[in-house]
Order: sequence, then structure tokens, then C-alpha cells
Amino acid sequence: MTADLLTSQPTTGIAAATTDLTKVYGSGDTRVVALDRVSIAFREGEFTAIMGPSGCGKSTLMHCAAGLDSPTSGSVRVGTTELARLGDRELTQLRRDRIGFVFQAFNLLPTLTALENITLPMDIAGRRPDRAWLDRVVSMVGLSDRLGHRPAQLSGGQQQRVAVARALASRPAIVFGDEPTGNLDSRAGAEVLGFLRDSVRELGQTVVMVTHDPVAAGYADRVVFLSDGRLVEEMARPTPDRVLDLMKSLGSRSHSG
Amino acid sequence: MLRTALRNLLAHKARLAMTVLAVCLGVAFVSGTLVFADSTAAAHRAAASKTFAGIDVTVTDKAPEPGPDDGSRAGVLDDALVTELTRVPGVAAVRPSVDGSATLNAADGSPLRADRAWSHLAGAYVPGKDGKDSRYPLTEGRAPANGGEIAVDRGTASAGGFRIGDTVTLATDGPVTTKRLVGIVSTDDARVTAGGTLALFDKTTAQKLFSAPGHYTGIDLTAAPGTTASELADRVTAVLPADHAEATTGQAQAAQQAILVDTLTRGYEKVPMVFAGVSLFIGSFLIVNTFTMLVKRRTRETALLRAIGASRRQVSRSVLLEALVVGLSASVAGFLLGLGIAAMLPHVLGGGDSALPTGPLVIGPRSVAAALGVGVGVTVLAAWLPSRLAARTSPMEAMRTAEQPPPAQRFRLRGAVGVGLLVLGAGRLVSLSGAKDASEENLRDAMIGCGLFAAALIMLAPLLAAPVIRLTGRLTGRLGVTGRLARENALRDPRRTAATAATLLISTGLVTGLAVIGHSTGQALDRQAATGLGADYVVSTRSTMTGIDPGAVRRLADTPGVRTAHPITDSTLFTGSGVRQISGADPATVRDTMKLDFVSGSAEDLAAGRIAISTTLAREHGVTTGGLLNVRLGHAGKLTAYKVVGVYKNNPVAHDALGSRGEVAANSFLPGSVQRVLLRTDGPPTAALENRLRTAVGNNPLLTVQNRDQLVREAAGTMGDLLDVMYGMLGIGVVISALGIVNTLAMSVAERTREIGALRALGMDRAGIRRMIRLEALTVTGFGTLLGLAGGLFAAWAVGSLANGAIDQYTLVLPWGTLLLVCLLSLAIGVLAAAVPARRAAALSPLEAAANA
Repeated sequence: MTADLLTSQPTTGIAAATTDLTKVYGSGDTRVVALDRVSIAFREGEFTAIMGPSGCGKSTLMHCAAGLDSPTSGSVRVGTTELARLGDRELTQLRRDRIGFVFQAFNLLPTLTALENITLPMDIAGRRPDRAWLDRVVSMVGLSDRLGHRPAQLSGGQQQRVAVARALASRPAIVFGDEPTGNLDSRAGAEVLGFLRDSVRELGQTVVMVTHDPVAAGYADRVVFLSDGRLVEEMARPTPDRVLDLMKSLGSRSHSG
Repeated sequence: MLRTALRNLLAHKARLAMTVLAVCLGVAFVSGTLVFADSTAAAHRAAASKTFAGIDVTVTDKAPEPGPDDGSRAGVLDDALVTELTRVPGVAAVRPSVDGSATLNAADGSPLRADRAWSHLAGAYVPGKDGKDSRYPLTEGRAPANGGEIAVDRGTASAGGFRIGDTVTLATDGPVTTKRLVGIVSTDDARVTAGGTLALFDKTTAQKLFSAPGHYTGIDLTAAPGTTASELADRVTAVLPADHAEATTGQAQAAQQAILVDTLTRGYEKVPMVFAGVSLFIGSFLIVNTFTMLVKRRTRETALLRAIGASRRQVSRSVLLEALVVGLSASVAGFLLGLGIAAMLPHVLGGGDSALPTGPLVIGPRSVAAALGVGVGVTVLAAWLPSRLAARTSPMEAMRTAEQPPPAQRFRLRGAVGVGLLVLGAGRLVSLSGAKDASEENLRDAMIGCGLFAAALIMLAPLLAAPVIRLTGRLTGRLGVTGRLARENALRDPRRTAATAATLLISTGLVTGLAVIGHSTGQALDRQAATGLGADYVVSTRSTMTGIDPGAVRRLADTPGVRTAHPITDSTLFTGSGVRQISGADPATVRDTMKLDFVSGSAEDLAAGRIAISTTLAREHGVTTGGLLNVRLGHAGKLTAYKVVGVYKNNPVAHDALGSRGEVAANSFLPGSVQRVLLRTDGPPTAALENRLRTAVGNNPLLTVQNRDQLVREAAGTMGDLLDVMYGMLGIGVVISALGIVNTLAMSVAERTREIGALRALGMDRAGIRRMIRLEALTVTGFGTLLGLAGGLFAAWAVGSLANGAIDQYTLVLPWGTLLLVCLLSLAIGVLAAAVPARRAAALSPLEAAANA
């Protein structure tokens, strides 16, 4: 019940996909199944939101898909690369070259300027950033006059915009956002979400975002719902109201069931 | 969460353990040294009382000056007195002795235990009624029976490689003689067992050598049961000729000897005490740093305590209490380690030859008190500042969210105080560069100056961190983003960086200063020894108490290949203000054998009543050529006004003053004696010539034959000890610095888990993270090393001017090799210390970035 539901979106290719992804924490009495045979594909040029109640496994799904965490079983592919076969070094390289991150806590390096933070993944790789692309990304997030500032001199919204620019600057195959608006007020959050959506629309970027906020999910092209480590529902072209309704019905379903 | 809490606790424990270790090291040196001192003193006492075990009272000549007074030397201790004493009621046994000293040549021809001139004992084998000497039980062979035979003790025999039947070369004071070894005895005499030698002659020979025929140097009495030593002493005193002999109890002698031996073997404590001081001083920085970090880390916790009503005093007290516990456990651990050091020291210091007496470890209250006082005191004092910091925590901190950037640090007050200290310290040091001599006042000034200067550097270090690290950062910055991040991380908390670097700053500074001064002084002494000496060979006695016999002087002059032989008599010169050394020379040949650089006058006018003096002496007394100087020569009765005929630049060969040999010799310790013979040879020195010279003096163990190179090496030899101390200090400094670096880096890694996680998530591999931490360590150590190097060089330059006054030809010479070694060692230790924190950082999961605070 995954890809077929979305007919309106031109299905160009798959940026990342999981097959029967299972993640188990602990053993014996403390055994917790965070993900239970989850199969999902993230198409290129699409903005996907992953939703679900706390502890449903949505963050774990994202961490596994992004190569931050290793699955207990099942497969994760980014493009055509099977992550299960990669060692730490290759995984690190994959994250550096093909994946962008936007964290809830921004995670900018306080000792570097905004520009240095944006180019950090490329500096780590030892590559020169593509000047024209960098300018485009920077101007899109509206940071042109803030590039010399340190994170401590920027507001939360500005810091997260730097983080978005950092995620986009190296032209990754896919950008993952982990509650990117969780630490922001609604206005700054709306800005950041706008940029993420623009990056999909204008730059053709693929974005996957974990969120618990129906308003944030409304920016996405598609929303998938997780509950107790399983994929339970999916919605195309969501609006905050529809997402909220679905969440309510899912909530009552899980309570009654 | 539980995992992180556990990990924090572990990290915490490790950090405290490292602090404990630093204090522990210092305490170990202090207590180890004290226990060692107590133990050796006790061992000396035990050994001394063993020496005098069978002796209750000893009768000696009154005021037994070993002076040259002929005739009276015989004294009153003769066979008649021995017989008389036997009849004193309460006397069980009488043993007369004839004691002196004799230096032996080992089987290989070198003087045996030459560095222990004070314990080259010699005596008579005095058989008792049973034909055996109870004091020296024979273990092998037989007793010496005539003037051609000797016996030695077991230690001497094994050290010298002697066997029964060997011919042994020895000298008592004058010429050399050879004897046949016929017996080996054992002895309990502490002076011998503590690394001396013993030679026994038959009674007649000993009397000929050390007193006069038929006379003794002492008579030992053993009391009969029921008579105490003091009773016996009283009775004996009554029989003795009042003004000529006296009786002393064995106990008193033992106490005296213990003190003597103890003082002679002293001085061992100094080096370990210096180590203790350095390690505690450097360690205190580590303590301050660790507690500051702990307090900062617990800000929220402390704020919560304050919010629910804990007073400032309670907060600071809890920190001090923690310091007390740390100090206490460090002291206990240090004390135990110190016992190990004390047990090991005799082996380290004693070496193979000069065995220190061994005995049980004596743990006196002084050692325990010092260990506890030093360990706890230093820790609590060092924790005082951090405790104040904790007390200042506002309850509001508890409400703040996690990732607050540290408030910008203000250094205005610190800067002002630091600059003030710098001006004071540097000013004092610079003012010294005008000083002309190493007077006590100037030395004290130098010490104070160095102290102030060091304090200023430590105060200013946080301010200097930014500019210096930016500069060194240009280097590390070339290594890409890891280098840049390392630099920025080191700059993040300049105070912490500075405190971590302070330990290295001190040790590098100390070692640099010492190395430069030591090296420069050594070179100056070398040059001085080389330039002051015109002679190719110097034959000299090992002490001023002995002379070179006239026969040997004649034979030296007659040795083929010797052009000039210039005998010199060394004596003392009492000026109004102190005791100096004067050399009695022959004006005709002095030019040939000493390279004297006269500022005014010359040596040619030396005669009775005329002397030449060194520039230092001239300056001290404000005399110049043509002036008069009131001095007393050697044993001369009174001060006499001498005419100064010349002033020469300080010369180690000529000593402080030159007189005519006849006059100096007439008043010297052994009238008419010669202490040195300076030789000019026809050609370059050869091994054959050296052999001929040794033969000319009969291989006398009391004499040394040295060529120029050996003399120069000897002059610089004193610098060797300094070098050892220096490397020891560097070692301690480096170990403690390493602890500090591990501590600080572990802390900064713990504080930055999220950041490091983000770097991992963004694609920095483990090697990159490790490199970043290592470079950070390198930056911090580089900063400390650079500052220490600069400070040490400056201080060495300033203090060197004191040496310049005292030693001619002193110029600042940089020991490049040593300095390079110091730098490399410091930097290497930084990288090494970073290993564990770097590994821990690299093991962090990229998921840390996603973790919620």
C-alpha cells in the first residue's frame, strides 16, 4: 500500500527505501521492538513527512534510513547502495556525500561562522563548494548578510536556516529532518518548512522529515503514519486539518484496539 | 539516560583519580625523602652503636690536633698508661689503638673509593691475651706481623679486588708504599661499612705512621659487670694526667660518630625535595583546573541546591569537603608510594660502591604529618578558588536551558594584575643585568624576580592564549577543517586552556632556564679552565691536608719530556670578610704554567709581603695594584698588610690570590708542603708520558695526574648533577602535565558529545575526530611550551648576568639540542595524553547529535 497510492507525482526514481526494516532494543524482559518489518520508499523530488505518537519508532526509522543507526534486520538502500553491507568508514562517507541533516537542536558548531558551518560537510570531505549553488542556497534561506556571524549571535530561526543551508549545500541525494521545527516558534518554524518545501519544488531536492506537528506535515507532499513500529496509514497532499483528523481517528483506534 | 549517567560517573572517577595521582606523586616524594632520611639516620645510629659496642670508655690525648707540632705529637698514651689503666677498679679489658688514615690503590691501579676521603681508615692490629684482636676478627689469612704486611676488611678486599698474597699500593700522607696483604678481617665500624676502607698494620708500623713509637692514639676500656660507663669514666679521669688526656664514654662517641656519618652522607634529600616541590606546585594547577571543571559541570545541580535553600557557605563547604577527601586519599596513597621510594632510594643513591647502611624503614611522626599536611593542605588550598566559584552560582542557573554559550570571560582585572606582576618581575630581572656579582642579595632578588615573573605569566596566560594560539593555528589550520576546529576548541575557554598549559609552562620554563644557565656556565667554566691553565699536566693532592712529597716533585721534574715543573702550595687566605684560597707560586715560572690575564701589575714582583689578587677580590676590598690589603695567610698568627702587586682576571688555576711560594708554604697547613705541580711538556701529551708521570709519583693513590682535557671535564663536571635534576624535573612536570591534559580533554569531550555526534553525522570519520582531539592537545601543549620556553629564556638571560659577574667569559649559550628535546618531549606528551580522550570521542555515535538534551 505504498507507492501505488500516489499517482499524481511523477515517479522518477527512488532516493531511499527500506525493506522489512526491523529494529529491536534490549533483550529478554526489556526487549522493545521499535520498528517491525517496515517497508517504505522515498521518491526523488518528493517531500515526505513521517508522523506518529511518541515512541512509535518514527525517529528510529529516520535514523536507520539515514545511516545513523544500524537495523537489527531488513535492508536499507540509499539510491542503489545497500547500507547493511557498509562499514563505519563507508557509512560516514555516504552521510557526508549523499545525505543532508537538519536536527531539532540545530547542532551548529559554535566555534564556526554561519558560512563555515554551511560548508562544513564539504570541508570535511576536502571538496570545494560549488560557488553558484552555494550562493543560490544561501540567498534562498535569506542569510546573505549573516554569513560571518557565529551561531551564538543568531536567533533560533536563523540558526535552523543555517542548518537547512548546510544540509542542502552539498547537493545530497536526500535530506533528513528530525523534528526541524521542534525548537522554534511557529513563525520561524513556518519559514524553515517553507525553505524545505521550496528546495523540493525549486531545486528538485528529496526531503524526509520526522514531525509530530500536523501544521508541519501540511507542508509535505505525502505523510506516512507509524504506530508501534508499524506503518499504519499514508496520506497524499495533506493539509493540517486532514492530518489532525487522521491522527485523532488513529488515536481512538489504537485506544479502542 | 542511565548509561550516560554511569558514563559520567566513571569519567568523574577517572578525573578525580588523575588529580589524586598528581597530589600523590608530590606527597610520595616528600614522605619518601623524610622516611629515607629517618631510616638512614637510624641505621647510622645503629651502626655507630655497633662500632662502639664493646667500648665503655675511651681515653684520648686532649685536644688531639693532628697538626705539625713535632715531638708533642707523641702524647701521653703509652704502654705505662695502659698498664696503669688496667689496674683501675672496674676495668674488665683494655685495648690500645693507633688510628690514622690510609688510601689504597685497587688492584687495577686506581685509587679505591677516592670520593670518600674521610673514611679511609687505618689502624693497628692489636692482639689481646689470646693472640687475637677481638675488634677485628680474622676471617682469612693471619694478622700483619711486620712493616711489610697489612690486613684489610672484607668490604675493602672485595671492592679493591684484593686476594691474600697480593701486593697493595697505599699512601698514608706522604709518599707511596707497598705492602703485602696477609689477612682479611671483618669490622662493624660504620664508617667502613658505609662505603669506606680499612687498612690494618702491625702495632709498631702503625705507631710509626700515626703517632710515635710506643705511643697510642687512643685506649679503649671495657667496664666490668656492675660498673657503669660514666662511673668508669670518672674513675679513669682521676688517674689521667689532667691536661694531657681525657676519657669519653663509648655512648657519647657513638652519638658523635652517628651525627658525623649522617652529615657526611647527607645532601641526598635535596634532589627529591626539589622534585616534591615541583610536582606539588604543578599539581596544584591540576587540582584547581579539575575542581573548576567539576564545579562548572555541576552548575545546574548547585543552582538547584541554592534554589531550594542551600547557603553559599554550604555550597563552598561541600566543594572543600570533596577536596579534603581527595587530598586525604591522595596523601595516604602518596605515603604508601613514598615508602616504596624510601625503600628504593638507598639502591638508587648508594650505587654499587658507596653502600648506605641498610635497616628497617623508620616511619616517624614527622613523615606522616608532612605527608598529610602537604597532601591535604595543597588540595584544599587549590580547591578554595573553585569553591568560591561554586558559591557564586546563581539559583537562576537551574532554570536555564541546557545549551547556553559560556558568558564572555572578562579579563580586565586579571590583565591589570598580570601586567603589574610582569612589570615588577621583569623589571627586577632586567635590573639584575646590571649586577656584577652573585651576592646573596642579588640571588634573592633573582629568585623573587623569577617568582613574580612566573606568577605574571600564569596570570596572563588566558589573555595570551588567543593571540598565541591564533598564531600556531596558522600551522594547524593547514591541516584542513580538523585543524581549524582544534584551534577554535582550544580558544573556546582560554582560562581552561591556560590552566592546562600552565603545568607545561612551569616545567618547560624551569627546565629551559636551568638548561641555558647550566650550559652557559659549563661552557664558561670550560673556557676558563682551558684558558687559565698554561700547563699540560697537573699533578695534585686530593685534599689540602696532604702534600706531595719532595721526592715525587723532584722525580716529576726529572721525568723525560717534562720541560717545566712548577710546584704550587695551596693555602687559605683570611681576609676581613671571609676565607679565600691562595696559591703560592714561583714568580719565575708562573708565566709558563698559568695563563694569567693581568688587569694591572704583574706576577713578576711576587715576593715576601707581596701578593697578586683576582678581580673579584680586588673589587670586594676596593684595592688596586700598589694598594695594601690586610690578610692572614694560613696558620700565620695575625693579619698583616700585604702589598698588592697585580690584579688578574679570575682564574681557577691561580685561585683568589697569588703569593710567593716560600711565604705561603711557611704558613700552610703542612709547612713546606706542595699541593699541586703544574707541568709543561716538550711535545703534545701522550699516553706514554702520562704513564711516566704516574710512575714518577709512584702511583700514589693520594695524587691525581690529569691532562688539560681531564681538568676541563672536571671543571664542567658539577654541571652533570644539575642536568640530572633538570631532566628529573622535566619528567615530573611532563607526567603531571599529561595528567592535566587527559583531564581537560576528557572533560571537553564529555561536554561536546552532541557536537562530536553532529560532526560524525555530517560525515567526519573516526580518524578525523581523533585527529581533531589530538591537534587540540597539540595546540594546548604548544601554547604552554612556547610560553615556558620564552619565559625560561628571558629569566636565563637576566639571571645569567649574575653569573657573568661571578664567572669571567660567561656568555649566554643556547643548548639547542636540549631545548629541542624539551619541546619535542612536551609536544609528544600532548599527543600521547590525547590518546584516550580521542578514542572516547571517536567512539561516540552520530546519534548523539539527535539525542535530546
